[in-house]
Amino acid sequence: MKNTQDTELLFDLSRPGRRAARLPACDVPERPLSELLPSTALAQTPPNLPELSEPQVVRHFVNLSTQNMSVDTHFYPLGSCTMKYNPKRNERAASLPGLADLHPYQPDSTLQGILQILYELQEMLQEISGLAACSLQPAAGAHGELAALLVASAYFRDLGQKRSIVLVPDNAHGTNPASATMAGFQTVSIKTTSAGFVDMAELTAHLSEQVAVLMITNPSTLGLFEPNMRQIADQVHAVGGLVYLDGANMNAILGITRPGDFGADMQHYNPHKTFSGPHGGGGPGAGPICVTERLAPYLPVPLVVRQNEQDLQKNGDSPPVYRLDFSRPKSIGQVRAFFGNVGVLLRAYAYLRTHGPEGLRRVAENAVLNANYLLSRVKTMLPVPQGDRCMHEFVASAAQLKAEKNISAMDIAKRLLDYGFHAPTVYFPLTVAEAIMIEPTESEGKQTLDAFAEVLSHILQEDPQLLHDAPHTTSISRPDEVRAARHPILSHPEE
Amino acid sequence: MNQDDLLFAKTHEWVAITTEDEGRFATLGLSAFAVEELSDLVFIELPEVGRQVKAEEPFCEVESVKAVSDLYAPVSGEVVAVNDTLPDALETLKEDPYGAGWIAKIRITDDAGLTHLMDYKTYQRQCEEEG
Amino acid sequence: MPYLYNTPEDQREMLAAIGADSLADLFDTIPGDLQLSGLLDLPPALSEMELDRELNQFAGCNQHAGTLACFLGGGSYDHFVPAVVDAIGSRSEFYTSYTPYQAEASQGNLQVVFEYQSLIARLTGMDISNASMYDGGSATAEAVLMAISTTRRHGNVVVPHSVHPEYRATIATYLENLDVEIRWLKTPMGVTETEHLAQAVDDQTAAVVLQHPNFFGCLEEPVKVAQIAQNAGALLVSIFDPISLGLLTRPGDDGANIAVAEGQSLGTPMTYGGPYLGIMACDKKLVRRMPGRIAGQTVDRHGKRCFVLTLQTREQHIRREKATSNVCTNQGLFALRATVYLAQLGPQGLRETANLCLQKSHYASQQLCRQPRFSPAFDQPTFKEFVIRDAENRVDELLQSATDSGYLAGIPLKSWYPELADCFLVAVTEKRTREEIDGLVRVLGDSA
Repeated sequence: MKNTQDTELLFDLSRPGRRAARLPACDVPERPLSELLPSTALAQTPPNLPELSEPQVVRHFVNLSTQNMSVDTHFYPLGSCTMKYNPKRNERAASLPGLADLHPYQPDSTLQGILQILYELQEMLQEISGLAACSLQPAAGAHGELAALLVASAYFRDLGQKRSIVLVPDNAHGTNPASATMAGFQTVSIKTTSAGFVDMAELTAHLSEQVAVLMITNPSTLGLFEPNMRQIADQVHAVGGLVYLDGANMNAILGITRPGDFGADMQHYNPHKTFSGPHGGGGPGAGPICVTERLAPYLPVPLVVRQNEQDLQKNGDSPPVYRLDFSRPKSIGQVRAFFGNVGVLLRAYAYLRTHGPEGLRRVAENAVLNANYLLSRVKTMLPVPQGDRCMHEFVASAAQLKAEKNISAMDIAKRLLDYGFHAPTVYFPLTVAEAIMIEPTESEGKQTLDAFAEVLSHILQEDPQLLHDAPHTTSISRPDEVRAARHPILSHPEE
Repeated sequence: MNQDDLLFAKTHEWVAITTEDEGRFATLGLSAFAVEELSDLVFIELPEVGRQVKAEEPFCEVESVKAVSDLYAPVSGEVVAVNDTLPDALETLKEDPYGAGWIAKIRITDDAGLTHLMDYKTYQRQCEEEG
Repeated sequence: MPYLYNTPEDQREMLAAIGADSLADLFDTIPGDLQLSGLLDLPPALSEMELDRELNQFAGCNQHAGTLACFLGGGSYDHFVPAVVDAIGSRSEFYTSYTPYQAEASQGNLQVVFEYQSLIARLTGMDISNASMYDGGSATAEAVLMAISTTRRHGNVVVPHSVHPEYRATIATYLENLDVEIRWLKTPMGVTETEHLAQAVDDQTAAVVLQHPNFFGCLEEPVKVAQIAQNAGALLVSIFDPISLGLLTRPGDDGANIAVAEGQSLGTPMTYGGPYLGIMACDKKLVRRMPGRIAGQTVDRHGKRCFVLTLQTREQHIRREKATSNVCTNQGLFALRATVYLAQLGPQGLRETANLCLQKSHYASQQLCRQPRFSPAFDQPTFKEFVIRDAENRVDELLQSATDSGYLAGIPLKSWYPELADCFLVAVTEKRTREEIDGLVRVLGDSA
């Protein structure tokens, strides 16, 4: 089925005088604009937007949608991104008018349902992390990192300590050092060993009273649980520093171990990964953070609190049970407007309630089972430098293949698209040459993984030229990225 | 300029030293080897004229699609001229790295950094080891 | 469990292939003393039917804009969302995909982002838009950081009180450790006073932040403010209301260097404050300092037009601690919704929407202020929001009794502006009918 209309831009489809939306007539006495607004504030012409009919708009975007791979249409083993199934029941719930049509400044008394959901979500996230307090405010994982580092900095300021350094292992997500800079810290990178773990001698050498925070991803971006986690945390604590857990890989350890129990003082969650919020083509996410008791006073405002029984009785008839608490004098303040990415948080709540404690543990077990099974098949074809076992994901390397047959990780990624699989994450982490990072998640299983492994095996036997030229079946072939960056065209020119 | 007349830094910058009425100057560029290694450059951020630079500190950035590389000043001094034509003609870096591909000219205030530079032959050996 | 795939038989075969005896074996790299001995203390699992019932019960405990007439604004608005926006936004090929790392498998998303950027550039009169930020508040704070790094001035930024108080709070949080002074300007007249602004800026000012129409709904003087900022070598960060651009001059025409906005008005439900859409656009020459994803047009190997993520060297995954920002996600789904919304409304639709907001809000203000108890707090032109002063200074009671009568009548300003404790902010979108406005006036009047 060839569709020739699908790549035309909205602007190409536009014709003067065409329109889709009709608005109701003005039902209040209409006054001339010149009476209401100063003439200098008024635009001379309407905005230069395309003019389209409604059926055109729909066909355009529906056709574009078919040019995406997505979790609902394809296996999407994009390492580090946890592309699991996005439950439809959560989508329906989040669009209930009683949840979607709430204004952020409604009085608490009109919001008892949503506030209870958010309160209980705070409690559940605290329990899963083994930490004492939770802020749901940050809008994404990286935003949670920033918020938590600002919490750390407020804490040290309160203690009268000046600490300027954030330690980050060299296989960390780029967001860690970038967040440290935004929070006013200096990043010092810590080498990892060839086995992929924090080099303890390096760590010791870098620890001092200047160290504010160690940011660690555990399980790491290599899909490995850090064997010295407890000792690492103890050493950081011994110099008065804090341990931050990048929670990107929580899917591997839900109900198995808790960051608070292995020494983390703070962590963020990525509910769009771990708790199945859809990734939305790039967002929205959310980035709730949990912290220990002593860091709780510095969390962003507001938090949802449940009034205790005494206060409830004191305040008479039917006071709101749940309310927003802004009176937290040591708080770092707000990192965004309004409460948080509530739509994403609602889906996380629904996901947690669907699973319960046993179910959550089974999520981790199956995520790890799937990853290890796929690892057992992939390692017969491609080296996996960091070993035979993994947690929820693993990193293979095409370095040897590149040297021998000039086949790169990118070639393999592109060829997989031809067989209907989204590519794994490639060229990350930076510590593995020609990295191919594969994360199947728990919502896939043996049949899919077998099919993927067989395709991979087949691809590696193909004529290398086929791979260099791949993909062959997608709507476009490889784009010229150099041209895009050298002569950027970032919008359609206005006529 | 002939590559044999130039000095090279470990970090792949080349330097030509000239003495003029107003003092000693260093004209800088990026070695042919480095340009080749970086492949497909897409952007250069030139330093501002008048900026004070310090030996062995970054003073200029070149970017490929997915990498950023710093250029380090081989000497301390003041930037007196930059090659404004480069941003729109990055291919010059490749076509004529030691001539039209010059990047900046610095009036030297402290030439201590010069002692760390090497001649073309020595530099070439380093490149062979890296390559 | 509902979303798992492997049968017990699959599981046995998989464990055998791995060479593990049990699922527990797979976790033996986690030291035993760190492993939980029991289950987490969480409520038990619910079936779909039970979950549905529970969430409906919670939803039923809220009063919402479908049951109360919503006159609340302050950065989140009850604008109409056309069905087309929901239909496209629920295509799971869009919402279950991720950041387009593989351009060949993501041309749908990439073209949408390119169209979004193009529409925002046209709407704002700015050269370049990014693929979006978290929300209006964080986009404003990021714009301030961008101004600091562009101007290389670490002295101060100037922010009038007429900027959204939560955006101001966000700026303050972001700048907390960066040793940059924030000069707050009082706005007793409801707008930025340009003489005061001129005194506040100096040769170390990186940015002046202006919201127009501002938090009080009042129109500022962006052209004058831009001149003052730029004469001092500072950048103007302009916060706009996308709906207002159906009628008002564009931030780019007014002289803004960076324009940011909350894009929730463009087809995104209010959902108690998020997720929303942070819009950010800027001058061409600032693009390398811009945070966030950017899509660009190029060609594929056969010369076919296509789209990719570009200028990525700005970003954290390449530049790490030197990146322009730590942002990695954009709000793809809401950028999509905004793109569909603007395509659906077109120039006339947006203009009519803006005009309805303007006419109805002025009507509401006029009707309210016929009552002696109420008066406009500021003598300034307004767009779709306005501040009302209650001569009896009983704002909380007034708003509570309006809520009881079915009206979300306004936002009390006391917690942000102690000097405006007797005032509240009212917003009127195109959705409010004359009947609802007259009802609001009646209800507020009755409680007198």
